[in-house]
Amino acid sequence: MDEKNSIYGPYRPELEKIEKELLDEIDTLRERLKQKNGMDPVEHCLSRIKSEESMREKCVRKGLPVTTESALTKIYDAVGIRVVCAFIDDIYRFRDHLIALPGTEVIEEKDYIKHAKPNGYRSYHMILRMHQKFYAEIQLRTISQDTWAALEHHIRYKHDIGKSNEELIASELKRCADELASTDLSMQTIRDMIFEDNGKSETE
Amino acid sequence: MKIMLAEDTRDLNRAETAILTHEGYDVTSAYDGEQAVDCLEQDSFDAAILDIMMPKLDGIGVLKYMRENNILTPVLLLTAKTEVDDRVAGLDAGADDYLAKPFDMRELLARVRALVRRGREYNPKDMSFGDVSLKAEEMELSCENSVRLSAREFELMQLLMTHADGELSTDDILQKVWAAEPAADADTVWLYISYLKRKLTAIDSDLTINGEKGGGFRLDTDPSGRSHE
Repeated sequence: MDEKNSIYGPYRPELEKIEKELLDEIDTLRERLKQKNGMDPVEHCLSRIKSEESMREKCVRKGLPVTTESALTKIYDAVGIRVVCAFIDDIYRFRDHLIALPGTEVIEEKDYIKHAKPNGYRSYHMILRMHQKFYAEIQLRTISQDTWAALEHHIRYKHDIGKSNEELIASELKRCADELASTDLSMQTIRDMIFEDNGKSETE
Repeated sequence: MKIMLAEDTRDLNRAETAILTHEGYDVTSAYDGEQAVDCLEQDSFDAAILDIMMPKLDGIGVLKYMRENNILTPVLLLTAKTEVDDRVAGLDAGADDYLAKPFDMRELLARVRALVRRGREYNPKDMSFGDVSLKAEEMELSCENSVRLSAREFELMQLLMTHADGELSTDDILQKVWAAEPAADADTVWLYISYLKRKLTAIDSDLTINGEKGGGFRLDTDPSGRSHE
C-alpha cells in the first residue's frame, strides 16, 4: 500500500523500526536467560503492525476520525507484540527489562495475572511509548494462559452455543483458567526447587 | 437427614423406621443386603444402619462393598449375636459403631445422633481465614483472584487454616495429609508448602506460611505488611 492511501501515512517504516527494536530487546534478554538457565524462557513470540483494515475499523469503533493522527496517537496498538513464556516469573523478567530501556515510557500497565479478569483471563498488558513518539502494546503471558485465551476467543465467536449452555461454559472456562493458573504456579515452584538443588550441589 | 436402614425382620424394620421418621429423619428401608446395596448406590445418606444377619448379603458384606466403593457414609451395625468376633469383624470392615440386639430404642436414636454428628464433622466445609476463603466443593482458594487446588494442597491448606493458632510439625502434616502414602517425606511437605505459598501470593492474599523445610509450619496474617507488587 502506498503512503497516500495508508492509514499510517508515511510512518509505517518508523513503526516497523519500533517493532524491530522491541523484538531485538526481547531477543537480548531471551539469549541472556538461555545462557544463564540453559533453557529458552520464550515459547514463542508474535508481532505485527495492525492491519489497515483493523485500524480503520478500530478508529470507527472508538468514534475517532479515521486519520493517521488517530492511528498513531489515539490508538496504542499499531505495534503489537506478544511474548509467550514457559514460566510465570519470566513474564516479570521481560516486563522489567522492557520498561528499563532508554527511550521507553510506560503509558499503562495492567497485571491481569495478579488481578485476573472475572472470566478468568490472565495476561500482563502494557503500553509503551517509544522515543516520545509512537506507541506499542506488549502482552506477556504463559503457555497455558495463551492456550486458554485461544480457546476462550474461539468459543466467544461461535454463535451456536445455546443460552442455557452459555453460563455453564463461562463458569467451566473460569474453572479451567483457575486450574491452569494453579498448574503454572506449581510448575514454577518445581522449577525453583530444581534450580535451588542444582545451586546447592554446584557450591558443594 | 437421610438414613438408610437395612433390617430383614419385618416388624423390627417397621418399628425402627417409624421411630426414626418420627424423630425427623428421612428413612429408606431395605429388607436384605442386596436391596441395601441398591439403595446406597442410588442415593447418598447421612448414616446407614445395617443388620448383620440378613439374607442374600449380610451386613458386613454390605459394609465391605460400601467401603470398597468409596461410600463413606457412617455405619451403625446391629447384631443379634453378642460374640466379640462379630463386632471386631464389623468394626474392622469399616463400621463406625455397633449395637447389640435387643436394644432400647432410645439408645438406637442416641447412637444415630452421634453418627450423624460425626459424619458432618468429617465432611469438608467451606472455611475462611484472614483475607482468604477455601471452598470445599470446588477446592478453590480465593482472595483477589482464585485458583483451584489439588486434593493434597486442599487438605494441607485446610489443616493449616484449622491450626493457625499453633505450629504444625512436618510429622503432624505427614500423618494427617499423607497417612496413606508412606513414601511421602519432609521434601514432599516442603514442596506442597511451597505450592501454597506461591498460590497465596498469586491470589494477592496477605497470608504467609512461616516455617522452614523439615520444621514446623504456621499460617499467619502478614505481620510485615509485605507488598506483593
